Amino acid sequence: MLTSRVISPSFLPLPPTASTSSSSFSSLRTILSPFLAKTQLSYTRTSRMALSLTARAAANKLENADELIDSVETFIFDCDGVIWKGDKLIEGVPETLDMLRSKGKRLVFVTNNSTKSRKQYGKKFETLGLSVNEEEIFASSFAAAAYLQSIDFPKDKKVYVIGEDGILKELELAGFQYLGGPTDGDKKIELKPGFLMEHDHNVGAVVVGFDRYFNYYKIQYGTLCIRENPGCLFIATNRDAVTHLTDAQEWAGGGSMVGAIRGSTQKEPLVVGKPSTFMMDYLSNKFGISKSQICMVGDRLDTDILFGQNGGCKTLLVLSGVTSLETLQSPDNSIQPDFYTSKIADFLSLKAATV
Amino acid sequence: MANGGREALTPQAARSLVDSVDVFIFDCDGVIWKGDKLIEGVSEALHTLRSLGKKFVFLTNNSRKSRKQYAKKFSKLGMEINEDEIFTSSFAAAMYLKLNNFPTDKKVYVVGEEGIKEELKLVGYESIGGPEDGKKSIQLESSFFFDHDKSVGAVVVGLDQHFNYYKLQYANLCIRENPGCLFIATNRDSTGNLTSLQEWPGAGCMVSAVSCSVQKEPVVVGKPSTFLMDFLLERFRIDVSRMCMVGDRLDTDILFGHNAGCKTLLVLSGVTTLPALLDPSNSIHPDSYANDMSHFVQLLSQ
Repeated sequence: MLTSRVISPSFLPLPPTASTSSSSFSSLRTILSPFLAKTQLSYTRTSRMALSLTARAAANKLENADELIDSVETFIFDCDGVIWKGDKLIEGVPETLDMLRSKGKRLVFVTNNSTKSRKQYGKKFETLGLSVNEEEIFASSFAAAAYLQSIDFPKDKKVYVIGEDGILKELELAGFQYLGGPTDGDKKIELKPGFLMEHDHNVGAVVVGFDRYFNYYKIQYGTLCIRENPGCLFIATNRDAVTHLTDAQEWAGGGSMVGAIRGSTQKEPLVVGKPSTFMMDYLSNKFGISKSQICMVGDRLDTDILFGQNGGCKTLLVLSGVTSLETLQSPDNSIQPDFYTSKIADFLSLKAATV
Repeated sequence: MANGGREALTPQAARSLVDSVDVFIFDCDGVIWKGDKLIEGVSEALHTLRSLGKKFVFLTNNSRKSRKQYAKKFSKLGMEINEDEIFTSSFAAAMYLKLNNFPTDKKVYVVGEEGIKEELKLVGYESIGGPEDGKKSIQLESSFFFDHDKSVGAVVVGLDQHFNYYKLQYANLCIRENPGCLFIATNRDSTGNLTSLQEWPGAGCMVSAVSCSVQKEPVVVGKPSTFLMDFLLERFRIDVSRMCMVGDRLDTDILFGHNAGCKTLLVLSGVTTLPALLDPSNSIHPDSYANDMSHFVQLLSQ
């Protein structure tokens, strides 16, 4: 049951509470003002208000694929539920991507899944027989590192990671020191008298993403850093409620880990993954493309489609992933993409039909 | 909306408070003890109040122990408190199910510790999960299927030092896939003085983690929900205005008092500091505040 869930205005933390260092937030706002101008949404901690965005017309079933293809220069694809499901390619994907490339379209892949680095995703594409360059892949693990670079996060400060290998690899590539990650999954705590948990006072940011090794030790470590290290950033790779880690069922997503840390710190994170526009702004700057020349293709309304809408580009929902037609058309849903179709291979069949 | 310290308890206000109240409701963590250490002067303060003819009960959001186990803790700390003078959020969860006629042929999945399991057992419910599931992990190979018990009719989430992904996913599947499955939170405290030396993440973390994955809000049975107040009113049969909630946390203890309509006294011996209380962004104001229990009682004779 979807409402137009107001995911954190990417870089708009709540008004500082008594425990917040307000100067750190105000300097952040200055740095991030271009992002702030975009999403002036308010977000309450205790309830997710269904924000009434400018009422959009109901999504159109994609009929003239050519028209859409010709109207944009770049396609941004989500991965899970669009390109693959678990470890299986979705039908018709290789041919569709080839066709788009032959028409001179730029292809970019943006995934909220932070468990792998871009390089590791590149290998996954290769294993599935798709020729995709690492430079065309933007995972939320990469986004976290790129964000820290964009704010000149000092190299002598550390990052505490509640998350998996992908985040560690990207931080390392960007030259940042980190603590935590999967190995902290083996650490236990004993709530015994006299026990004091120490933490590194040099941690200047806590990055939280999907973590199958999540435990109480990490929650406390992250909480101590955020609450006690002055100016410590709280960054979320993404806030997906559920994720398709295997193709058989859905699994609790990165939103849970982020929720836990929000629960203990009572602070809102800076979100770098969809639907925050950070990755959209990053790649439009990097490739020099204007938003009106982009079409976002995804299977999830509250991340992919909202990402595209927040970014000001065209949006196409595919029904090959987590969203059904019923959900799209339900009265509880207020996120309407420009178009919907069953899968990206429809670009080929619909194209043929109009010839 | 700072009250500029107008709520600081004065000797006169302290006497007036004690005269107008028959029953004191004490929070535990940060008021009576911190971890396993009694806060200084608490025993004497309680003794003084008893000698003035006041009754008291203890109302804690900490679900790690059952009421019986808390009575043992009091005893170890040199205080003889009866188990039916103690109300825990673990007890609240079990009572909530009982009063709502939760069927005994259904199971309860527990994301929490022994206290919750014990209280559930006392009212005749079978629970699975709890501390043992803290040892379980998941495999993410494409062939792996995470199974869950379809007869789980309620998931109870509380403070869980053995919290892990397995339990999170189990709770997620029960709530999403078992028709009518209840989602109950013992409480949502962000942190607590679980040891004497520092604060630790509270049930609020586990509850938020589950809530974020199932995209639903739970029924909260602990403070600031007034669910437990009904038990206290039943027990004492006095007007709620003749009760005073004494606690260290604004968004649970004091808010509970406001919601229930009793008097409220904040002590600064726990998670709330004076700057936090007086900060303009704070909108929850107790009737008065004192440094700690000992300070409160000393004011009576000044």
